[in-house]
Amino acid sequence: MKKRNPPTFARIILYVVLIVLVAVCVGPMVWALSASFKDPGDIFQYPPKLLPSPATTANYASLLSTQPFIGWLLTSLIVAILSSAISAFVCSLAGYAFAMFAFRGKEALFSLMFSSLAVPFVVVAVPLFVMLSRAGLTNAYFVLIVPWVAPAFGIFMMRQFAEQSVPPDLIEAARIDGCGELRTFWTIVFPLLRPGAGALAVWAFVNSYNSFLWPLIAVSSPSNFTLPLGLQALYGAQNHQYNLVMAGAILATIPALIIFIALRRQLLEGLSAGSVKG
Amino acid sequence: MRAAPYAFISPFYILFAVFMVVPIGGAIYLSLTVWSGIGSPTWAGFANYIRLFGDGSFYTAGINTLIYVLISVLVVVPLSLLVAQALNVRGLKFRDFWRVTYFVPMIVSPIVVALIFGLLYDQQFGLINVAIQSVIGAPKVDWLGDPTLAKVSVGILVVWRWTGYLSIFFLAGLQAVPRELYEAADLDGAGPWRKFLSVTLPTLRPVTAFVVVTVLVGSAQIFDEPFLLTQGGPGNATLSVVMFIYRAAFQEQQFGYASAAAVLLFAVVFVMGRIGASIAGVGRHA
Repeated sequence: MKKRNPPTFARIILYVVLIVLVAVCVGPMVWALSASFKDPGDIFQYPPKLLPSPATTANYASLLSTQPFIGWLLTSLIVAILSSAISAFVCSLAGYAFAMFAFRGKEALFSLMFSSLAVPFVVVAVPLFVMLSRAGLTNAYFVLIVPWVAPAFGIFMMRQFAEQSVPPDLIEAARIDGCGELRTFWTIVFPLLRPGAGALAVWAFVNSYNSFLWPLIAVSSPSNFTLPLGLQALYGAQNHQYNLVMAGAILATIPALIIFIALRRQLLEGLSAGSVKG
Repeated sequence: MRAAPYAFISPFYILFAVFMVVPIGGAIYLSLTVWSGIGSPTWAGFANYIRLFGDGSFYTAGINTLIYVLISVLVVVPLSLLVAQALNVRGLKFRDFWRVTYFVPMIVSPIVVALIFGLLYDQQFGLINVAIQSVIGAPKVDWLGDPTLAKVSVGILVVWRWTGYLSIFFLAGLQAVPRELYEAADLDGAGPWRKFLSVTLPTLRPVTAFVVVTVLVGSAQIFDEPFLLTQGGPGNATLSVVMFIYRAAFQEQQFGYASAAAVLLFAVVFVMGRIGASIAGVGRHA
């Protein structure tokens, strides 16, 4: 049975709405991009100009020469890359175990893991900060990475993914061939899970790269600042250097945006798969 | 072979024990003490909790957080379902482009969002006021300085950030609705609204539950947006519970008091999350 498309007028309205939404979603970023190339005095020019004239890269040059921006960027990137790689591995292992193995206590363990999603982060943050500083574990990389490399959401997502993409017969066959469990995982299962793990890696990267509250609590030394902390310090400085702030905002957004665009399909599919089955 | 699944899931439970269970215990203990972070905590029984109930700014933070939660559940969730409906129209062109673009706000770091919106909201020079003035000639609006409007401004940020992200889940749910159901409804002469109520909504239940629980748990913990955009102000007009806790712990060194507020938030969010999840059957092991 073939269905007619909705009438053309409705179509036009629909596309107009969709285009307006695009403007709403990316408009602020485009405005910031334009502002970052404006002369410092022109950011608050009235009436505001859409395009910078004259356009200048002075804001970027001055940001990079007067602020330890590269240091913030490196810290953020290292933390986010390590968190995301370790999370992808750890969650794949656990998700696979929950999807494909029968073992005692599985239900209870799964529901314990799942309920940890409803624990507000702040209840953990205060005592964790106290514990870590008492134990002398103040290394920025340690505190920013290690506590968060096994996100429950990631395990949940990878379990759904493993159920859909790992054929049980294949695991059986590997076992009969005498393949060890870890080797089976690494050589047979993980390649099948790779699209899901990729989605999870992007998710974990963005989460870590953008996280603000925990770094704010856990990192006190400016030499260990991540990008969000650095930008906040720059913005909070007495003379509000909006031009530097805009250049920093743009530069800070680029890495996450590149990773998102490169792996967008995997991420969107991966997130969708997790929710539909519930 | 018996040990393998336990070994595979163990990293989560080890980290869970060290970085979640122990700290939660610590928070409960600290909430019963008075401690400035130096020396040992002094036992105080329920004094912190009693003090919280008489603390006007905690009350304000609670109300504000409730407002953020309501905005998220009553505005963001329906809007994202609407966006998903639009993206699910048959024969839609550039579907992936729309989907990806609407996701972008979630990729941008909250600090960057707050910096940009802070300038856009600016009373004198902000683009939003300039646009309002030139289009309808209305006087300039003090987006961040007026107590009510400041909450609206934070709310707009929340809507902007979350709507596209959540519509991804609804879209996946809509695409999973069997087409035969709609065709059967067509045969019964059901109109679009009737079809939405009796076919779309019931089939979307698991996704809706997932989205609502995610949004409830997330928005009850809102911190970045009010902290970065308005610093909780003007006055305490945009203060959230998590901001209240952060301030008590790390700016006023009242770790016991902050922990008591955190434990209360934990109780409320956890119960809400679990009730929501169990009503809908989210997370049950199939």
